[in-house]
Amino acid sequence: MTMSRLEVQPTEVIDRSTTLRFRWNGKRFSGFEGDTIASALAAAGEHVFSRSMKYHRPRGILTADYWDPNLLVQVGDDPNVRAGHRLLEAGMDVGAQNVWPSLHRDIKAANGLVSRFLTAGFYYKTFMRPQRLWPAYERVLATFAPGGKVDPDTPHRYHDKRYSHPDVVVAGAGPAGIEAALAAAAAGARVMLVEHEHAVGGHLRYAHPEPARAALAELRAALAASDVEVLTDSTVTGRYEDNWLGIVQRSHPVAVERLIKARAKVLVVAPGLIERPYVFAGNDRPGVITSVAARRLINLWGVKPGERAVVFTANADGDAAAADLERAGVEVAAVVDGRDGRRVSAAQGPPKALEAVVAGGTRTEADLLVVAAGWTAPTSLLNMAGDRPVYDPAAARFFPSDPPGNVLATGGLAGDGRLDELRAHGAATGRLAAQRAAAVAHRYQARTARALAVTGDEPAWAADERAPLRRDRHPELYRSDTHGMVDLSEDVGSKDLVAAAREGYDSVELAKRYTTATMGSAQGKLETVNTVAAIAEARGETIAQVGTTVWRPPYAPLTLGALAGRMFEPVRVSSIHPWHEANGVRTIQAGQWIRPDHYGDPAAEVRNVRTNVGIIDVTPLGKLDLRGPDIPKLLNLLYTNKWSKLAVGKVRYGMMCAEDGVVLDDGVTGRLGPEHYLMTTTSSGAAGVWEWVENWLQTERPDWRVHVTPVTTAYASINVAGPKSRELVSRVVDGVDLSPEAFAYMEVRTATVAGVAGCFMWRIGFTGELSFELHVPAGHGLHVWEALMEAGADLGVGPFGLEGQRIMRLEKGHFIVGQDTDGLTLAPSTGMSPLIKLDKEDFAGLPELAWAADRQLPLIVAIQPDDPEIVPEEAAQIVRGDTNEILGRITSARMSPTLGRAVCLGQVEPELAAGGTKLTVLLASGQRIGATVMDHHAHFDPAGERLRG
Amino acid sequence: MLLVPCPNCGPRNSADLRYGGESHARPDPATASPLQWRGYLYLRDNPAGWLRETWYCRSGCRRWFTLERNTATNEFRDPPQPGDKRGSKA
Amino acid sequence: MRGIARGMRRRPPKYSAAALAWKGLRGDPWPRVWRDTELKRSYDAVVVGGGVHGLATAYYLARNHGITDVAVLDKAYLGSGASGRNTAIVRANYLTPEGVAFYDRSLQLYNSMATDLNINVMFSERGHLTLAHSDAALRTMNWRAEVNKLQGVDSSVVGPDEIKEVAPSLDTSDHPRYPIQGALYHPPGGIVRHDAVVWGYARAADHMGVEMHQKTEVLDILCEGGDGPEGRGAGGRVTGVRTNRGDISTPFVVNCTAGWASLISAMAGVRLPITTHPLQAAVTEPVKVFLPTVVVSGSLHVYISQTDRGELVFGAAVDPVATYSIRGSLDFTEELAGHVLELMPSVSRMRLLRQWSGLCDMTPDYSPVMGFTPVDGFLVDVGWGTYGFKAAPVSGEQMAAAVATGNTPELIAPFALSRFDTGELVGEKGAAAVGH
Repeated sequence: MTMSRLEVQPTEVIDRSTTLRFRWNGKRFSGFEGDTIASALAAAGEHVFSRSMKYHRPRGILTADYWDPNLLVQVGDDPNVRAGHRLLEAGMDVGAQNVWPSLHRDIKAANGLVSRFLTAGFYYKTFMRPQRLWPAYERVLATFAPGGKVDPDTPHRYHDKRYSHPDVVVAGAGPAGIEAALAAAAAGARVMLVEHEHAVGGHLRYAHPEPARAALAELRAALAASDVEVLTDSTVTGRYEDNWLGIVQRSHPVAVERLIKARAKVLVVAPGLIERPYVFAGNDRPGVITSVAARRLINLWGVKPGERAVVFTANADGDAAAADLERAGVEVAAVVDGRDGRRVSAAQGPPKALEAVVAGGTRTEADLLVVAAGWTAPTSLLNMAGDRPVYDPAAARFFPSDPPGNVLATGGLAGDGRLDELRAHGAATGRLAAQRAAAVAHRYQARTARALAVTGDEPAWAADERAPLRRDRHPELYRSDTHGMVDLSEDVGSKDLVAAAREGYDSVELAKRYTTATMGSAQGKLETVNTVAAIAEARGETIAQVGTTVWRPPYAPLTLGALAGRMFEPVRVSSIHPWHEANGVRTIQAGQWIRPDHYGDPAAEVRNVRTNVGIIDVTPLGKLDLRGPDIPKLLNLLYTNKWSKLAVGKVRYGMMCAEDGVVLDDGVTGRLGPEHYLMTTTSSGAAGVWEWVENWLQTERPDWRVHVTPVTTAYASINVAGPKSRELVSRVVDGVDLSPEAFAYMEVRTATVAGVAGCFMWRIGFTGELSFELHVPAGHGLHVWEALMEAGADLGVGPFGLEGQRIMRLEKGHFIVGQDTDGLTLAPSTGMSPLIKLDKEDFAGLPELAWAADRQLPLIVAIQPDDPEIVPEEAAQIVRGDTNEILGRITSARMSPTLGRAVCLGQVEPELAAGGTKLTVLLASGQRIGATVMDHHAHFDPAGERLRG
Repeated sequence: MLLVPCPNCGPRNSADLRYGGESHARPDPATASPLQWRGYLYLRDNPAGWLRETWYCRSGCRRWFTLERNTATNEFRDPPQPGDKRGSKA
Repeated sequence: MRGIARGMRRRPPKYSAAALAWKGLRGDPWPRVWRDTELKRSYDAVVVGGGVHGLATAYYLARNHGITDVAVLDKAYLGSGASGRNTAIVRANYLTPEGVAFYDRSLQLYNSMATDLNINVMFSERGHLTLAHSDAALRTMNWRAEVNKLQGVDSSVVGPDEIKEVAPSLDTSDHPRYPIQGALYHPPGGIVRHDAVVWGYARAADHMGVEMHQKTEVLDILCEGGDGPEGRGAGGRVTGVRTNRGDISTPFVVNCTAGWASLISAMAGVRLPITTHPLQAAVTEPVKVFLPTVVVSGSLHVYISQTDRGELVFGAAVDPVATYSIRGSLDFTEELAGHVLELMPSVSRMRLLRQWSGLCDMTPDYSPVMGFTPVDGFLVDVGWGTYGFKAAPVSGEQMAAAVATGNTPELIAPFALSRFDTGELVGEKGAAAVGH
């Protein structure tokens, strides 16, 4: 096959005045603006573009479009680029994929010699023994992986996304699709028209000039004058629930690829038809092309596809291709008419070229075989909408059966007809789509309880009164009297499929899985029907009996970059964060929050708190503002302990359980006024506890009067801890008597702090020190923090971070929900049984906790390694002596700067929970160490004298 | 992306809501047997068809509400009117 | 029960390189992998569900216990459900001792499967990395590693440098939103060709006389003596199954379905602690192999492996909304791609080729429900969540033992349905944010 550039064609899309230079396999080439990579190379005489996956057979142009299985190339760092679709750009570095050492001398082509042993699924039947050699086999097999290369330095480029809420989306801008878009827009709908190719027009673009050219010009002009939004080089990749559409826009001026997410009220599916290859000996040889490919090459890019052609035609498009070839100066040596029962049997020649075509026993010398054997209906989007297309043997293709009412098909997918009939069907479809979209829009509006201006009744659901398109008779041409390739991208032949069916893989899905037919780059658009036909033939059944596979999204592949877009996973920082950053903070991620972990030396921070005073930013602490008369009832229901008698100004600790008795969250809640409480939760539990509270209030106790407002980020929270904390706080707080008698441990006050009114302050003791927790309006957080630092300079005030706080709480033996507890830890295991009031009428988890009272549960205990220098890993297992029997685990462990020894919390079996019990802890290193269970959770100040001071 | 008909906010993408699962009545904790209580905790009808279920409109009205959905087709039935008692079994 | 002799038929040809060459030279066809037989009116045992679990159960009934008069029924084709839709990862690095012991046995059976079943299931023991992006996650990884080591399973926690050595394409810098702080590395983990497991069990079971019946849908389970309607429910016993091809009498019905477990069990009057959710997966176009190991991130809900064909296979956590519809969603692919690029920015130009989903039966404690039920003769092997494939061999082996002996084997005792009556759940919940 020798291709070359023709004289200027009236329909061509190239601009011959702009030459683009590029490289192909390292050599210099040039093409014109408007060329695809493949058309430029074809015009330059290239006819081998790739090697097949398994046998490494040379492959040339087949369909000359996006779906061409032979035209996958590497462009720079972009693998698997569709050279039949991607427009040529100056400076492109294009290379063949899956070849070694080069496209023209490929060593793995030797596989072709042993193809009879490499039948489909051969690998399941060998390489079993010796088993230890399978990894070696596997490495060899992996070198056969097709496809391009990923450059490890590829950056994640900028990708945009867009949301859209059109009334009607039309997928496919052929004549029917354009008419549908125009008619829908004329009826008042907002319409988006999405075309996979680089320009609208569908088959009119490469059709013989008249009358197609006039029609195309007319449609383009009408589109330009309409309000239809036209997206070219864009594809509706998927139809999901309720017409949620994914649309990939490859033509965006800035983003490499852009994902558009559209909630279409009605989707019109008008992708046209895809020409199907025909199966015969040598059908994958360079020089064998589809009729559409021939017409596209000649009419769009002015490429002469060969010198001497045989045309195998079974339809008008094949006839048109023959005419185009003659007009382009290609000698048409023979026309084999499939409608007369004639068949092409073989394409012959040396590996890389076509020399002759055998049909009906006659051998005709030719360098080009153009095949028009029938069509595949790309029903993918209909499948995704739940439709099961039905095969019509008279028309030799599948047709839609019963898609949902908000999905309409038109164009070639729906039937055949003259151009004016297709256009009329499209226009009728567009009108119907607009009517139904109006009904859907009305329904959406009316479903909103407080819809503003829903006027009138819902428009009636318009009946489908479109005159159906006819179905032209077409011979069922799938396989000739010889065997050939069914799936060119997977190197699966009709022989493979017949053998698979005979072996028992005789349903389409089984055969597909066994042979990998339809699993390649075109995902069955070229291969599915021939696959089904081969299986039907092997089983002696019809195509309708065998059925087809389910097409899955996406319709066209799209890059991970486009799908990912920009990552919208924001981080949260407190209003005090700038101070932390300016003061050498090391941060830690805790859920969404970026928090101070420490400022260089957490042990020093701990010592400073224990001797002087420290301040910590605890803003992420979950905070819920509760108002209403029924709050005590709510607290009684959610916490395990009792809340009815909490006086104004008092704070209490509480533990929440799920209904299965497992610890859910904990925190303190304070009563700020008669009907005003502030509840705190763990930082990670803040969102969940809020939903939990709302769930109880709205579903189980809707008559209770409690109003809940999340105020986590409305307040900046600062804990002031240490023996000098009262002195420090007294310097910044006005109007509150801070003496231990007037403001005792577990009390709350409203205060003005550093001139900021409306702050809450409570005395609690997570660190075990005298401490005041300040909750100040968030905007003033930084100011109050700085005021504390300044006011306490002479007291030795210093910041401390999460690590210091963790050390101190561990010294005090306070457990952390989710660290010292797990998904099965029942409340009594925390050692907090006195806080579980089983005599309450009801609370979340009550029945399970009542029953658990009789059960032997693991317990959280304080543990000290016998060697004070050894800090076990958090997760180190507690085992029985020298055995591997697990009796518990260390859940928290730190070196205590205060005690100068390792301190731990752990969960142990109940028989080991008594103070003084000797344990064996298995370290990650494998060493077993001795440890002792302590009498109290608190390693430090068990009487709690410091925090009550 | 399911379009969930929130009774207050109208149709919303399911990503805006939290799925609460099959509605089931909470037994009286005072009288429930262990089997009844654990049935409430763990056992589900899980039908392939119409299911009464709860949703929480976390990015909208912040209301928990009950809907009926066909789990085979994901089609919703018109929601109960606002003000109905939520969360109890029909 | 009736022995192998009755069910045994001609000796089918073994798979081997020599046989492949011989048949290739002579152009001989291979015989059917499993027979296409008439459905009989009675069997010693009926297995519902022709996936890996059902087929393995039937295989071990025949091989280990000589019970060959067994029918495996599937409403579609063999492997049409979760068996052919999962991402084919196997591993044993679970959190609880009972979980580790169970999956370790499964891994052993996978290791010898190619020779046991005489089919290359392409077990690629390529190692398995579970990434940790937070202190809390790292703590869980340590916990798993310690429990694994005590059970003799090879797992250890590795740092960013070692991660970079095992999988150079991972971004181990501190730039990402979710920096990689460490990982649980489990060298024996890997991937298996899932379809080959289905076909291998079916072929081997067929050779011993087990019958596989495709397009055979169970419409009802026939019971007597139970406390529910029509003799169903607790205290009753199974007498047979009603199918779209007629009634079958049998004393044993084993429910090995995924996605339909609640519905099949309801036919016997047994209520399950299960909700059904889709689990989605996706695959890219192939590129030259660059990712040598399985990578999982629990926090980012993603797992990644590259097949020998060069495709990246992705999976995630189950969809939050319970449904029997498996059409897949766009938001899944968006989130997936975002998280994959967070871990491996260099694959941003790779293209997603296909997405699909399967149904997963989720239980409250991320552990299966196995063994006997209150209905005599009705056994379940269900609730497999997102981890059923990796458990198939051991599940089949143990379920077969339960049917044959009438006793619950020790290995599956922790997974009994009765644990939901007593509230003694299995502790895998902590580790199973993503089940792979």
